[in-house]
Amino acid sequence: MNKRKVTLAAAAAGVITGAAGLSLLAMPAGAGQPPTLPDVSPEALVEQVLTSKPGAFGGTVEVDNKLGLPSIAEIPQLADGKHSARIWTDGNGKFRAALPNGQSEQTIVNDGTTTWAWNSADNEVTKSEHKADEPKPADEKAKSVDPAEAAKQIVGLTKEFSEISVDGTARVANRAAYELVLTPKASEKTLIREVRVAVDSELKMPLRVAVLTNGTSEPAGTVGFSEINVGPQDSKLFEFTPPANAKVTTPEAKEQRADRKPELGLEQALQGEDPQIFGTGWDTVVGARIPAQAMTQVPAEAQGLVDKFTKKVSGTWGSGQLFTTKVATILISDDGRVVAGAVPEQVLFDTIGQVK
Amino acid sequence: MITRQFGSEVRWMLRRPRTIIGLFGLVLVPIIISFGIWTAGDDESGGGGPGLAAIIQGNGLVVPIFTLFLSLNLLLPLVASIWAADGLAGEAQHGTLRGLLVAPVSRVRLLFVKLFGLTAMSLFAVTLMAVVGIIAGTAFLGSDGMMTLSGTTLGTGEGLLRIALFIVLVTFQMVSIGAVALAVSATTEHPLVVQAATMTTIIVFQVLSQFPSLDWLHPFLITTGFPGLIDVMRDPIPLGQIWDSTLLAGCYLLIGTGLAAMRLITKDN
Repeated sequence: MNKRKVTLAAAAAGVITGAAGLSLLAMPAGAGQPPTLPDVSPEALVEQVLTSKPGAFGGTVEVDNKLGLPSIAEIPQLADGKHSARIWTDGNGKFRAALPNGQSEQTIVNDGTTTWAWNSADNEVTKSEHKADEPKPADEKAKSVDPAEAAKQIVGLTKEFSEISVDGTARVANRAAYELVLTPKASEKTLIREVRVAVDSELKMPLRVAVLTNGTSEPAGTVGFSEINVGPQDSKLFEFTPPANAKVTTPEAKEQRADRKPELGLEQALQGEDPQIFGTGWDTVVGARIPAQAMTQVPAEAQGLVDKFTKKVSGTWGSGQLFTTKVATILISDDGRVVAGAVPEQVLFDTIGQVK
Repeated sequence: MITRQFGSEVRWMLRRPRTIIGLFGLVLVPIIISFGIWTAGDDESGGGGPGLAAIIQGNGLVVPIFTLFLSLNLLLPLVASIWAADGLAGEAQHGTLRGLLVAPVSRVRLLFVKLFGLTAMSLFAVTLMAVVGIIAGTAFLGSDGMMTLSGTTLGTGEGLLRIALFIVLVTFQMVSIGAVALAVSATTEHPLVVQAATMTTIIVFQVLSQFPSLDWLHPFLITTGFPGLIDVMRDPIPLGQIWDSTLLAGCYLLIGTGLAAMRLITKDN
């Protein structure tokens, strides 16, 4: 009889363990105790971030995005929600990035002489050989998910226009880090309240970037490592042989194909030949003019998409459509002028007249 | 002693006509998939479709993984629930369970024998599907190593290792569902109730996981772990999601086994 009670208790313990395990799994991983680190001056830290050479590492990056972008971007990791990506670099320009998209995957490999971009969804490899020092779109895409690169760019562009401080420490991907905070100076007309960069205490390499906007306590966007191993990576990771059955194309050939997505027109216009830059620092506005021909080419379907996410506005500058996200505003006038920036809409209304 | 009980349990399961019919049905799945993809031919548009479907053309070793991945959503839970239903409820219906309960054998041991039968048969069924998938895939679609979702090509040996890993992972999911079904099976004399309850749960879970507003609930659903298993086809394998799915299934296994044991121990003959 007693034995029966013991087995019953053991079985009950099993059930409880299972249930507790379920709740544990459902809980987000805790951040852990912030480490104790020697004090560092903000200026020195910024300097170290800008001059740091991360060297070889491999890791998993978590992107948490609440920017309010429609998921039309070519990079699934930039759509709203949580995404992950894996990146490896040998520290000398070779890298590999794996961008899972649902059950598909995009892989981008830069083997030093060629950048390969593989997309499992259409079984296609885009091969771009490096000719000059011009940046490759695929390279840029891979770098956009690297917190270290993103943070370096932000810090480099904005340090002169920000109050810089070190706000304690944090533990990111199990490494001790300083929290570097860049707050736009009062004179900057921007939507952004502050940018927090977690800087690795040893390598001085940014491990996480969080962008906080006015009026919210939760970050509008976070890009950070959830796991990182520093040190030499398997050299096989930086080689790529296109699979036997895959189509291999060049970026030029891909561009000529008729099935180009219409929403890329805007992206291209903003990255185009001669984007015009107005202002400096946080309230920099980028302007461009979409060729009239491209404006009329937008199919009705895409127009519907544009209308869904934008609001009609008009003023002394003319009329157009305003697209607002938490961290950026884009204004497209009916005659094809485009201005965009991390600024409130009024700044765009003031600037659009200057677009040539 | 216990090995003899294990052996007789599996023999007993294999002797049931519905087990044979079920296995035969499972084997058809990879054949139909390979044949279907082969007849679709390699049109110019390339693979198309999401996930594995896009890379399966000319990549026969993906067929077993594709087949198991698809079957995990409904077919394999159904099979697991049938075996769990036969194990206790079916025996109760035929009156043979009474004999087992009064026998001088511990009831916990009886449960472990049932759980072993379930595991052995699940592993057998999943392996059978995979082997037929390899043969059918190679025959219809050809194979030259295994192309992963990451665009790399693995050698045949490494490809087979990936398939073996996937067999183990899928079997574990199946056994976990079966363990919960065994808990239901211990409470009833009607095998159909067990199957209906298990399948309803799986389908309801899958429906619930479609609602973004219920995202707090999703980490508790065993079906949430299924899609992550596809990471076996990425190179290098990211272990994060695979671990999470397996731990999630492990929790269900513990809960199911524990509940079934509690019910069996307290059962009056």
